[in-house]
Amino acid sequence: MSYLSISNVTKQFGDTVVVDNFNLDVEKGEFVSFLGPSGCGKTTTLRMVAGFEIPTSGKILLDGADITDKAPNQRNVGMIFQSYALFPNMTVAQNIGFGLRVRKEPEDTIKQRVDEMVGLINLEKHADKYPYQLSGGQQQRVSLARALANRPQVLLLDEPLSALDAKIRVSLRAEIRAIQRSLGITAIFVTHDQEEALSISDRIVVMNTGEMEQVGTPFEIYNFPKTRFVANFVGSLNTSDAEVIDPAKGLVSMDGVQFEAAEGTNGRTKGDKVKIAIRPERLSFASEQKKANVVDCTIENITFLGSVVRIQVKIGNSKFNMDTFNNPFLELPKIGAKEQVTCSKEAVLVLDE
Amino acid sequence: MASTQDGKVAEMNMLARIRRIPFWSWFWFILGALYFILPLYATLKFSLGMERDVIGFKAYGRAFEDPEFLSTFLYSNVLALMTIIASIVLIVPTAYWIRLRLPEARRIVEFITLLPFVVPAIILVFGLIRIYSSPINVPFTEMTLLQPLTTFEVGTDILIVAGYVVLGLPYMYRSVDTGMRTVDVRTLTEAAQSLGASWFTIIVRVILPNIRAALLSGALLTFAIVVGEVTLASFLGVPTFGPYLFLLGQHRAYEPAALSFASFLLTWAAMGLIQLFTGGQGQVSGAH
Ligand SMILES: Nc1ncnc2c1ncn2[C@@H]1O[C@H](COP(=O)(O)OP(=O)(O)OP(=O)(O)O)[C@@H](O)[C@H]1O
Ligand SMILES: [Mg+2]
Repeated sequence: MSYLSISNVTKQFGDTVVVDNFNLDVEKGEFVSFLGPSGCGKTTTLRMVAGFEIPTSGKILLDGADITDKAPNQRNVGMIFQSYALFPNMTVAQNIGFGLRVRKEPEDTIKQRVDEMVGLINLEKHADKYPYQLSGGQQQRVSLARALANRPQVLLLDEPLSALDAKIRVSLRAEIRAIQRSLGITAIFVTHDQEEALSISDRIVVMNTGEMEQVGTPFEIYNFPKTRFVANFVGSLNTSDAEVIDPAKGLVSMDGVQFEAAEGTNGRTKGDKVKIAIRPERLSFASEQKKANVVDCTIENITFLGSVVRIQVKIGNSKFNMDTFNNPFLELPKIGAKEQVTCSKEAVLVLDE
Repeated sequence: MASTQDGKVAEMNMLARIRRIPFWSWFWFILGALYFILPLYATLKFSLGMERDVIGFKAYGRAFEDPEFLSTFLYSNVLALMTIIASIVLIVPTAYWIRLRLPEARRIVEFITLLPFVVPAIILVFGLIRIYSSPINVPFTEMTLLQPLTTFEVGTDILIVAGYVVLGLPYMYRSVDTGMRTVDVRTLTEAAQSLGASWFTIIVRVILPNIRAALLSGALLTFAIVVGEVTLASFLGVPTFGPYLFLLGQHRAYEPAALSFASFLLTWAAMGLIQLFTGGQGQVSGAH
């Protein structure tokens, strides 16, 4: 039995189904991210776990207890908001102690716990300041400490880093992850930033228009996307129309150019229309020894992206991006030159059209 | 050293900013200021001239000596306090609930709160008298539910406070609603809920403290309305300050001027107090 179990949960607002048959089991101490485009139902799902929305159907179990219909203040769930939601009339210490005071803990217990939490987020010097005297990153740390002070069973974070600038975002996400690990707390993290989800999570739930597309580790999601949506949404991807030539060998043809897919063609038959997908970093210029998937191409464009150089090549009638790590000794071809590129069989994904 | 320089820089900035304000802005500002200040000045000057050829406070002394002044003034203050409490109890939860759960009802409620501007007080008071001067029965029976409120003192007080709540509605509701807008009450409520707080705790510990400034300004406006109100008070026959001042004005010349000016000063003092109390608050909401 898993720690948090969301089973067959559906949420409708009027006639619109916003979350459709959501199923997820989260282990104790696990860090799970909900990843998906805007409006796909991430927040709504999270709010059902928090108790701010009641599922239209389905069940939510936390540590064996059914919490589906419990009021938010009856669940022991910590919530972090994008807008920090600190109480403006209270100092940092009062904010952190709020939950404990509500529970009528003795004053010295509260003080001790607040000190502990303030230390956890390294804001000892700011304990007596008001929220408006802190930076965004500091405020979000206070809100983390405030949620953790209550020792919640689950920590829910709804795009907690979206309001911060890029540098802080990266450092704070590492800090959140480190604190979550050290406390062994179960966490659900909502984001629409794939890099964030990939870097921080034990598992990722990719969602699209209310449905779960795929659940898996960041490694699985990135390298073995199960659906076209996941492949497209996570990382960048070259896709093109193709046709199955030989299902047994996993051969597909794209405008007459043949590719071999290690995974095969997933039970499709000859002549089926499919999409062929290859990540830019899996393509490279063909060297002598490579035999599989060597194809002719024309160099169309070259773009510097800092650590990566993105070369656009035309294969058949399709334009594909190819990423290579930048280095000063890189010999780049000329635009318009004819070259050969290659990729391993494993890099070729065959997806539904 | 640095701070005096900062001060100078600030001063220069201020001057520069003043100089940048276009002529017509100044013109309208001064015209508006004169419109307010001239009558006040005239009132003050008149009130100081009770004794021939002497500028003195005799009118003020006379006015304050009158025992009826004190009793009516206190009575009005008590009514004002009641009105403020009743409006807060009525309006804060309403405005809060609308922001939280019924945002689609906002326009309707806003319209209702504006009605006192459209319906004159005289109509309100006739309506009140008409309904509450006869006993209210359980429908279709002879059983009396409520004695006529106009027949006893407490009843009349309840009636007039209810009327004042209506008159103050536009000001109080607007202040409270604006106050709630500046502090995203919805998210704060959810944050407090997830920390285990009950509705009562949320309102008392989170919502009220964060709309303190709004409550104070709403309360001040309500106070000003109640203390100077004449129509409701005289038709309901309640001995308040408004009718007293009105009567005094018909018999005396200098004292009413003195009282007017004094009550004006009182209002300004109250406003100053609010500024003092809410100075820090403004910064809080201004930080976002
Ligand atoms: N209270 C509500 N009433 C009606 N529709 C709602 C309500 N809350 C959310 N929705 C709708 O449900 C859908 C999913 O919303 P949700 O906030 O869960 O998306 P999200 O994945 O969190 O998106 P974002 O990344 O933009 O935050 C949206 O289309 C939204 O308009
Ligand atoms: Mg959202």
